[in-house]
Amino acid sequence: MNKRVRLALSLGLLVISSSLLYLFASLTERPADKVKAFPRGIIVVGVDASVPPFASDDGQAVHGLDIDLAKAIARMIDLPIRFVNIGYYGLYDALISGEVDILISALRVEEARMDDVRYTRHYFDNGLLLVAPVDEPVASLDGLAGLKVSYEFGSRADTELRKLEDKNEAATRLPYELPTYALDSLRLEYADAAIVDAITLRLYQRRFTDWNTAERYLSRDHYAIAARRDNRDAWRLVDGTLAALKESGELDKIIAMWL
Amino acid sequence: MLNSFRQELRRAFMLLPRPGWLLLLTAVYIFLSTNWSPVEYVELGEAQIVQTTKPQVCVHTLLENEVQERKIKRSLELVREMGATTIVQFFPWAYFEPNDDKYNWTQADLIVRHAKNQGLRIIARLGLVPDWARPAASDGRATTLNYLPEASFDDFAQYASRLAARYREEIRHFIIWNEPNLSFEWGYRPVDPAAYVRLLKLSYPAIKDANPQAVVLAGALAPTNEIQGSPAGLNENLYLREMYSSGGAPYFDALAVHSYGATESADAEPGAGRLNFRRLEFLRQIMLEAGDGAKPVFITESGWNDHPRWSGAVRPSQRLQYTIKAFEYVEANWPWVEQLCIWAFRYPAPLNGYPDNFTLVSPEFMLKPIYYAIQDYARGWERGATQWLPPPEEP
Repeated sequence: MNKRVRLALSLGLLVISSSLLYLFASLTERPADKVKAFPRGIIVVGVDASVPPFASDDGQAVHGLDIDLAKAIARMIDLPIRFVNIGYYGLYDALISGEVDILISALRVEEARMDDVRYTRHYFDNGLLLVAPVDEPVASLDGLAGLKVSYEFGSRADTELRKLEDKNEAATRLPYELPTYALDSLRLEYADAAIVDAITLRLYQRRFTDWNTAERYLSRDHYAIAARRDNRDAWRLVDGTLAALKESGELDKIIAMWL
Repeated sequence: MLNSFRQELRRAFMLLPRPGWLLLLTAVYIFLSTNWSPVEYVELGEAQIVQTTKPQVCVHTLLENEVQERKIKRSLELVREMGATTIVQFFPWAYFEPNDDKYNWTQADLIVRHAKNQGLRIIARLGLVPDWARPAASDGRATTLNYLPEASFDDFAQYASRLAARYREEIRHFIIWNEPNLSFEWGYRPVDPAAYVRLLKLSYPAIKDANPQAVVLAGALAPTNEIQGSPAGLNENLYLREMYSSGGAPYFDALAVHSYGATESADAEPGAGRLNFRRLEFLRQIMLEAGDGAKPVFITESGWNDHPRWSGAVRPSQRLQYTIKAFEYVEANWPWVEQLCIWAFRYPAPLNGYPDNFTLVSPEFMLKPIYYAIQDYARGWERGATQWLPPPEEP
């Protein structure tokens, strides 16, 4: 048997044994323990209620997409829920210190936090969208050559467009003060395409329901729920519930309520 | 029989990778699992002088997490070119003394060297507690990096002293802690002005021993309406009064405050419960009542946010107007304010949330309109060019 075959066999054995071990561990893992996950008998959710439509505070209660999502999760887990309104900069400290059990706050998945935190699967993607009229779609940034493209000055869209500057046939750039102006520019046919984030487009489309566009994601920006890394039960319960909400179509209904 | 068994064993052994292969695989694994990158060589360049007409212009930088030296250099070049004389820069204790009495100043040295070369004054903000100086997690509740137990006050003071001694020539201003009137900045505990004063009492002489010329700033108080007993924090005016009643006055040379404009213009009147730029006048009044009016105030965080959806934001054009008006207001009305520092110059990576809209420069070094506006103000330029097109009109 030559050396290469021996090496391939060894690696193959390693992969197979690792897979079997993983499968065994998965099959024998105990179900998530609700009491361990939420020992207070209530799900305490940290949220920054200053960013509508995900969460806002009218002085009486908090409202928004994240709030409805949290309530739906609590219903399925069959536990009461309490929201703690925390400023953005205090969210993760509140989770780590045990002030709250989970964070549902339009949180972007951040790799740098994964030593302390586990994220669930994502429930929304606020990536940048390349938007064009439905009958003249643009497939990619390269397709913008020679076209007029609108965007918010100083935004992520601006950054993406500046990367094209060195290309021979860059787009003609139409910078606006607000991202909604960029969409106005496209709708009113001053621009051939616009670059905005997904939330901006969805909110705009609620105002102009007859306006049809073709969109393509230029980047991904996934929002997920965060649990403490050492509270695997909470993470598994919430992630599993989120999966069920996705599967049943309930998540889409909640999103459609607000965006 | 035994020979046959030995032959089988030898054959089985031959199926395993040889030590050479194992070593190679191990080396590849180690290489892939570490963040190895080629050594970066960055020239310091010629020593610079800040060209400005407004020496009170200052900006809060966040270079402690910037991995690449060339980006530290570029950030500080842009600060200088904007016309700011001063930076507030975080020097986290947890980063520079990761083990008890074992210091690693590599990142601090880089920041200080480049700031000095760009002719910038540094205000050092101190905070963040290393693991060894705070209690371990128990019952699923870990202490946060902002949790400073009283038993570690001495260690914190020693760190402050070491920092002051090491950079005696480059750093004169030191802020003791950040926003101690917010519970999350106090380790998710009830805030405690008396304990904070005890921290000052230890830190102040430690810094002065290391550098008698040092200026110790207390507070960096956050604007908040939280009442006594609130789990979130305490109104900064009440907090400052308690600092004075706890005997804190002799242990700081200047007061650091955070003065954000929220959704109001810089010249909007202050009022009970209103969070706006001129709310700071209440703090100043308390200083005067305490007989502490000779001390200057440093606004170590300020600014407006122009996120399109955050409830505390204004439009980008308002952000420009209000920010410049704030500088003008300070110059015209508050001679006791030494610096007005805008939060924040640049994040090393995007947060993809509304805090990104506090910055002047994007992580990719794209200069935002607010950068140009402050540059025009500081350097006395009158470009006056609108950075964006007028809103599209319906035909």
